[in-house]
Amino acid sequence: MDINQIERELQTLGETAIAALEAAADLRELDEWRVEYLGKKSRLTGISREMGQLPPDERPVLGERVNALRGHLTTAFENRARQLQQEALARRLGAERIDITMPGRPHPLGAVHPITRVIEEIEDVFLGMGFQIAEGPEVETDEYNFERLNLPKDHPARDMQDTFYLTDTLLMRTHTSPMQVRTMERMRPHAPVKVIVPGRVYRRDEDDATHSHAFTQIEGLVVDRGIRMSDLKGVLEQFAKAVFGPDQAVRLRPSYFPFTEPSAEVDIRCVHCGGAGCRVCKQTGWIEILGAGMVHPFVLDLAGYDSRVFSGFAFGMGPERIAMLKYGIDDIRLLYQNDLRLLQQFTRVVG
Amino acid sequence: MKVSYQWLCEVVDIRDVAPEALAARLTSAGLAVDAVEPRVQGIRGVVVGEVVACAQHPNADRLKVCEVRVSEAEAPLTIVCGAPNVAAGQRVPVATVGAMLPGGPIGRARLRGVESCGMLCSAAEIGLETRLLPKEQTEGLYILPADAPIGADVVAYLHLDDVVLDIDLTPNRSDCLSIRGLAYEIAALYGREVRLAAPSLAASGQPSPVTVRLETDGCPRYDARVLEGLNDGPSPIWMQMRLLAMGVRPIGCIVDVTNYVMLEWGQPLHAFDLDQVHDRTIVVRQAEEGEELVTLDGIPRRLSADTIVIADPDRAIGIAGVMGGANSEIRSGTRRVILESAVFHAASVRRTGQRLGLRSEAQQRFEKGVDPVAVRAALDRAASLYTELAGGMLVGDAVSVRRGAPVDAEGEQIVEFDPLRCRGLLGADVADEQILQVFDALGFTTDRSSAVWRVTVPTRRPDITREADLVEEVARMVGYDQIPSTLPQGATTAGVLTRAQQMQRVTRHTLVGCGMMEVFTYAFTHPSQLDALRIAEDDPLRRTIPLARPMSDDRTVLRTHLLPSLAQVAAYNLAHGNPGAGVFEIARVYVPNGLPLTEQPEERVQWAGLWFGQVPQRVGERARPYDFFDAKGVIEAWLEALGCRGQAEFQRTEKPWYHPGRSAEVVVDGRSVGTFGQLHPQTAEHLDVPANTLYAEFGLEKIAALSHPTLRVNPLPRFPMSLRDLAVVVRSTVAVADLVHAAKAAADRIEPGVLESCQLFDVYRGAGIPEGKVSLAFSFVYRAADRTLTDAEVTNLEHAVLDAWKDAFQAELRQ
Repeated sequence: MDINQIERELQTLGETAIAALEAAADLRELDEWRVEYLGKKSRLTGISREMGQLPPDERPVLGERVNALRGHLTTAFENRARQLQQEALARRLGAERIDITMPGRPHPLGAVHPITRVIEEIEDVFLGMGFQIAEGPEVETDEYNFERLNLPKDHPARDMQDTFYLTDTLLMRTHTSPMQVRTMERMRPHAPVKVIVPGRVYRRDEDDATHSHAFTQIEGLVVDRGIRMSDLKGVLEQFAKAVFGPDQAVRLRPSYFPFTEPSAEVDIRCVHCGGAGCRVCKQTGWIEILGAGMVHPFVLDLAGYDSRVFSGFAFGMGPERIAMLKYGIDDIRLLYQNDLRLLQQFTRVVG
Repeated sequence: MKVSYQWLCEVVDIRDVAPEALAARLTSAGLAVDAVEPRVQGIRGVVVGEVVACAQHPNADRLKVCEVRVSEAEAPLTIVCGAPNVAAGQRVPVATVGAMLPGGPIGRARLRGVESCGMLCSAAEIGLETRLLPKEQTEGLYILPADAPIGADVVAYLHLDDVVLDIDLTPNRSDCLSIRGLAYEIAALYGREVRLAAPSLAASGQPSPVTVRLETDGCPRYDARVLEGLNDGPSPIWMQMRLLAMGVRPIGCIVDVTNYVMLEWGQPLHAFDLDQVHDRTIVVRQAEEGEELVTLDGIPRRLSADTIVIADPDRAIGIAGVMGGANSEIRSGTRRVILESAVFHAASVRRTGQRLGLRSEAQQRFEKGVDPVAVRAALDRAASLYTELAGGMLVGDAVSVRRGAPVDAEGEQIVEFDPLRCRGLLGADVADEQILQVFDALGFTTDRSSAVWRVTVPTRRPDITREADLVEEVARMVGYDQIPSTLPQGATTAGVLTRAQQMQRVTRHTLVGCGMMEVFTYAFTHPSQLDALRIAEDDPLRRTIPLARPMSDDRTVLRTHLLPSLAQVAAYNLAHGNPGAGVFEIARVYVPNGLPLTEQPEERVQWAGLWFGQVPQRVGERARPYDFFDAKGVIEAWLEALGCRGQAEFQRTEKPWYHPGRSAEVVVDGRSVGTFGQLHPQTAEHLDVPANTLYAEFGLEKIAALSHPTLRVNPLPRFPMSLRDLAVVVRSTVAVADLVHAAKAAADRIEPGVLESCQLFDVYRGAGIPEGKVSLAFSFVYRAADRTLTDAEVTNLEHAVLDAWKDAFQAELRQ
């Protein structure tokens, strides 16, 4: 054996092995390469075995060469293996690619009706201000719907609310105001009252874009010692800001309801133009949103609260009107049509 | 109410206040002005002309060639006119060349070869309220009075430049149903004087030729005068124009004066033809029940005993405060009248008007109460207008008869007023002096000799009877914008929902979470809607409460059942191309304790759901209709949310509107809370919804009482579970719930609670399974609380379950 010959062979072997390694296209071929060039039957292992035939002084030199080549090939093999693994992974991921624009598996969303959605929103605002919520009968007595609210029989103000009567004394309530009286009567004597009353009401109006024979109202009532009209304004201001946005303001205008004195119509800044003036607010910058006033002393006294000691305010608003303003609905009938194409728009919870 | 701005300006000088500014001020004081509209807009260059000659047009049958003088100095203009009523000698509105009309400008024109220098105008062409004018004045030219000054500007002459304010008066401000009342209001707002004196007619000392007898308390005061020598011509043009501007029809001078004075003073007047009143005697009495009277509009009316009538000794001649009778009405040729100015019982007038379906101007004023001070003033004002304008002569003095409590200026209210309480109620710091100024401006007199003031309110303000009314006067005159914003100062309270309210919210949001859409339907329905339910004629659900006067034929009663309403929603949406959905409503049904209704009915709050059409489709899945288990899944979720699922049992129901084999009653703690299921095919057909439609109804009050208010968590298990699956073949009539019960019982006999769950996961019929049988696969979870179960223990449990199933249901282990 000639050391020079072996060294030349190692040289060639190294070059052949690296070329073959680069040619290995997948992990199987790579494994075959490992067996061929680094395995027990490989030429490199053969050369190690044959080294015993060399003179002792030449063995360490050649041993070092052989080890160097084995180290070199092992590193090259590991690099190539990593590379092939990464390529294989990339190919798999490529094959697993999906069309992300296809629709998701639907989780069908329901929706709260816009009227109850507004009612719940308003309830939450007033709950936050410490109000209780009460409900009352829709079939009312003439006494509670009218007489105890300072609307005696044959009073012209009854024209303001044309009524569905069931009998001479029973009727469909025309407003939630009878609950003012029922709530006060239910309280233990002279306890402060702070309540809102949502519910359905009924009037003999022909159904059109702005009227419905059945609609909802939310009544509010606060009675205590020292309740002021300025408190009414402040509470309604909080309400307007909560429901219509922090820039809102309220404006009170004198009006008339038999069961409040003084009485007021309450406006908020026009939700369309923000107060600049537009067609919706007839250029005034304000839109009417509810009726209110200080509870009439007649009503207080009859309900057992001495009007010389107690005072209170009351208000009544229409969730339909608020829903129409908030959501840009221009015909009240849409709210009772129950067309799913409208209702499905309320699967959106925010807004 | 429509109000003439020019007329207002005459009574209170506000010529320096533009109509729009006046409207804004009135609105902010509580008299909401809905509209400010010029009476007529866009007219210029129209003058009074006299037709001096009128000849047939040489080339046109229907045209006339007129010579029209529009100025004393200049030669007449030649104008071609097509109006059939044109004639020489008439004075008419002439639009000269260059004039503007609402319809456009007027130029020189050749009409069939004759040059026309302008146009003669009809009422419509100059923008008059033709709706209120008699037919003869709206067809052809509008003929002006013979004394209309030639060359005068028609805009000024006919007051076309007036502005009309449309005020939406609240029912309490009946005082403002007159120029006088509005003038006082405006005078107070602007610090001006009212220039409207009560006329004084010299007393002659002669008695009135008419006798008045008051036989009912419905008429506390009746004043009257007799005039003779009246002519029956039209009223002066200025009066006609004011009536038109305020929306009142001019008729003739005698009637126009009564209307004019009513608008001016707010006191309705009526003129009777004296010669038609038997014995010159007026009797005010209650009508006989069923008594008949033909009113001015020519309609025979049957009266009730509640109606007050004006009568002579023989018959009724008018319905008090509502409308006069045809038998005594003013007609052409009437020369002598009895002029009435009276006060009638407000509620009675209102009831009569409602009963007869009438809402006359007079009635609207009487039913809100009239000012006693105006009774005589209006009578005398009208009488003096008769003498000025219609040649009338007074016969004797006025007659004034009273009955009961005095109705006159002594009726002034004195109202106690505490300025401290006023400030307290408003929350606004309004000084005493400021309050005093308000009362002065309104014409109230104030006695401040003690801490509580005594404020005297004139009779024209019957709406002010107590302190709160005066507080409102202060607030609205000072301006509601002077009231600051504060918050109530009492003890802080927590706002919390009651349990029933929580139940409603949980129900609503759980159902929405299950993909259902909330709807809102009407409570009024028709009894025939219940026919679809297949219930007996005497079923309690048929006891619906009827409306006394329904507005439409299909909404006559209060509903006792929610299915028909929801079915309408389904039918509507299917017809509009929606493939299907689950919808629900939380609403009341109305259950009477007896019919006819004598007390308030029970109002039960329910939630009802309806699933119709196709389930929303997923990509790659076949469309399928809703079925029983879609509904059941939602109901189970709802029961779960309320914490009732563990106690709930599903039993068969016999409600006739359901498919008997595909419906269930839900029983919680032994009490029925509601039912659901597929509709009976006949019900579905009757309601016009698909046969696979499912319905559910649950009482919210019932479930609220059963739901457990507290939630306590179970500790996490400390030992592992053992999972086993078991498939058995049983007859298809065996209920899964019975198998589950039997499995639990069998396991419990070995060790209570060891079978943690037993859930169905597969149902198979078909190849390998005999006809009439079904393969059911269950997944079992076994777990002990105190140790890890051994394989032998679990196998033993499994055998126990299988043995129990074999014994009770002849179950066979599926091979």
